[in-house]
Amino acid sequence: MSGRPDHSNLASDNHQINPREPLLRVEQLSVRFAGVRALSEVSFAVWPGELFAVIGPNGAGKTSLFNVLSRVYQPEAGRVTFAGQDLLRLKPYQVARAGIARTFQNMGQFPTMTVLEYLLLGRHTRMHSGILRAGLFIGPTRREEWENRAYCLHILDLLNLKEVRDRPLGSLPYGLQKRADLARALAMEPQLLLLDEPVAGMSLEETEEIAAIILEIKEQLGLTQILVEHDMALVMGLADRVLVLDFGRVIAEGRPEEVQANPAVIKAYLGEESEQLPAPADDLPAVSEN
Amino acid sequence: MIATREPGPSRLRQELPREAEPPRLLGSLARWLWLGVGVLALLLFFSLASDDWFTIVNYCLIAAIATLALNLLSGYTGQISLGLAFFMGLGGYTAALLGGNPPAGPLDPWGLGLPVFIWLPAAGLVAALVGALIGPSALRLRGFYLGIVTLALVFIGNYLFRNLTFITGGPQGRNFPVPAFGGFSLDQQNSILGIALTSGQQYFLLILVVLLLSALFVYNLSRSRVGRAMRAVRDHEVGAAIMGVNLFEVKMGAFVLSSFLAGVAGALYVSYARYVIPDYWSLSLSIQFVAAIIIGGIADVWGSILGAAFVFALPQVIDYFSLLPPSTGGGGLSSGDLNALLYGLLIIVFLLFEPGGVIGLVRRLRPGGPRPQKLGTGASAGAAVKEGSESIEVVDLQQRLPGPGEERGSGGTGAS
Repeated sequence: MSGRPDHSNLASDNHQINPREPLLRVEQLSVRFAGVRALSEVSFAVWPGELFAVIGPNGAGKTSLFNVLSRVYQPEAGRVTFAGQDLLRLKPYQVARAGIARTFQNMGQFPTMTVLEYLLLGRHTRMHSGILRAGLFIGPTRREEWENRAYCLHILDLLNLKEVRDRPLGSLPYGLQKRADLARALAMEPQLLLLDEPVAGMSLEETEEIAAIILEIKEQLGLTQILVEHDMALVMGLADRVLVLDFGRVIAEGRPEEVQANPAVIKAYLGEESEQLPAPADDLPAVSEN
Repeated sequence: MIATREPGPSRLRQELPREAEPPRLLGSLARWLWLGVGVLALLLFFSLASDDWFTIVNYCLIAAIATLALNLLSGYTGQISLGLAFFMGLGGYTAALLGGNPPAGPLDPWGLGLPVFIWLPAAGLVAALVGALIGPSALRLRGFYLGIVTLALVFIGNYLFRNLTFITGGPQGRNFPVPAFGGFSLDQQNSILGIALTSGQQYFLLILVVLLLSALFVYNLSRSRVGRAMRAVRDHEVGAAIMGVNLFEVKMGAFVLSSFLAGVAGALYVSYARYVIPDYWSLSLSIQFVAAIIIGGIADVWGSILGAAFVFALPQVIDYFSLLPPSTGGGGLSSGDLNALLYGLLIIVFLLFEPGGVIGLVRRLRPGGPRPQKLGTGASAGAAVKEGSESIEVVDLQQRLPGPGEERGSGGTGAS
């Protein structure tokens, strides 16, 4: 990467991906906190271009899984291979450089940053100015700043956020904050996008918009995505494959309709009351659990 | 919509969209006007002020450089430091050693007699070097712990400054010679381009140039990749790391640059006072700078300068104008008491009512719209109302990324 945004394709690193190898392979992953097993021997693989969903009741280990992928948690055992390299040997900040972008479950981390600044922060690994060059702000630094601002504005345009580009994140409605976060993750030009409950706390209308964006990321950009979400309707309607966790274990994996029919999943999700899971909806999204 | 093809990189290089242009330093009429007003004010001050005023303002400008140094580290990057006085002292003694007179007596220990354009940058570099050595261990700590470690630096420094007599002259201090540029030294009248300048005016010019360069550097940094990374580290360390920010690199950068600026400020201070004792570099000096960034404005260049003015010049101005005696034996209010009262009051008022500091107040009152509120001012930053639903969700600012066992950001943003 020369630091110049490659506008020909938003997910610019896709050419490096070998379509016959999984982009991400998780093998026998276990995470434990003070005796509590957050994840037990979880294995799965995500293929290039796939929209892979991870679902499960509260406390099933979904967020723990993401935290391992972000290198925030150190697993007790297991292997994670991303695009051919051992992910567990990277430091947290190197994960972003390797091509994994993650959205946040809750917003509010950076309330004073404007939306545009936030996207530019997302481009941190794609820019190169160090302290001395930045402090002088001459030629190349200014150029780099300009080019990356142009790139970010492009993404803001795509996600209909251009009007709020100079508003501080903290002053925006929650739904817009989450959308700005998604825009920031896209600005990182990742190979793999981790979506941590992208519609949690959103209105139906907002959920619909995000669902449309996720679909477009998949269909138009071919970007590989892993989606952790409570909203069953959203997951069942969008995902290519679904992994179901319960108490840190994989209880099912497969296509949405297979998973929905799986008795273990129905039991884990609905307990003893054997209601029907929301049907895979064409008119997304049907129900918002939150 | 996402599939929209963009022009390729080569075409982009020729014509970047105007709307994406980074704001220029003097990009608007208003800024040019402010520049004009500023230059005019400086010219008026320069030609009308008495020597007393130059003394007050020169010290204040030196303090502003050090305030910038602290704001860079604590305000922008969120790393609490009480060690500023230590790094200023390092700079001060480096300058004294390099620029000092050859040994002549107890008040003139070892000195190399080098000119100002050597000792001034050298003072910064030595302080930066020491910062670079201390940083890797100190910056493992966060929040209060980092504060305590940097506090210890002040005491270690004080011990060293008292005992390295061959450099520092010990507790009674050492002289610092008048800086000289080739033919003329700054303690006497000189004429530059036919204008006769007093000593105070010459110092003023020297200090002003250094301050402007420092301020410009910090401002540029703040609006660039590095500045954004610093603010991200301050606001949420884990979040910053997830976006690819190398926390250590950013913190070290801020620490080293902050030490550099503090060293330069210390050298200027010593050179202007023309004397240096270990007691200059005390904890209370460090704390005054903390007060300056709180009163002036966290993470703001103008805030640093205003803060320095409030903390370091206002007391002198009050002394100057006050009809009260400088100090009273018993009862009665002295101007010193008045200063202490005002100073404490100011900090409380700003912490409670205007966490953005003086500059936050100025920006809010300025026509052109309200500025973003600083953190800690309450609900606006974190509360979100989930519309179309009976439940109102409040996003707790403290409730951040993952749960147990993860490292947390220092959390103490903005108003801390």
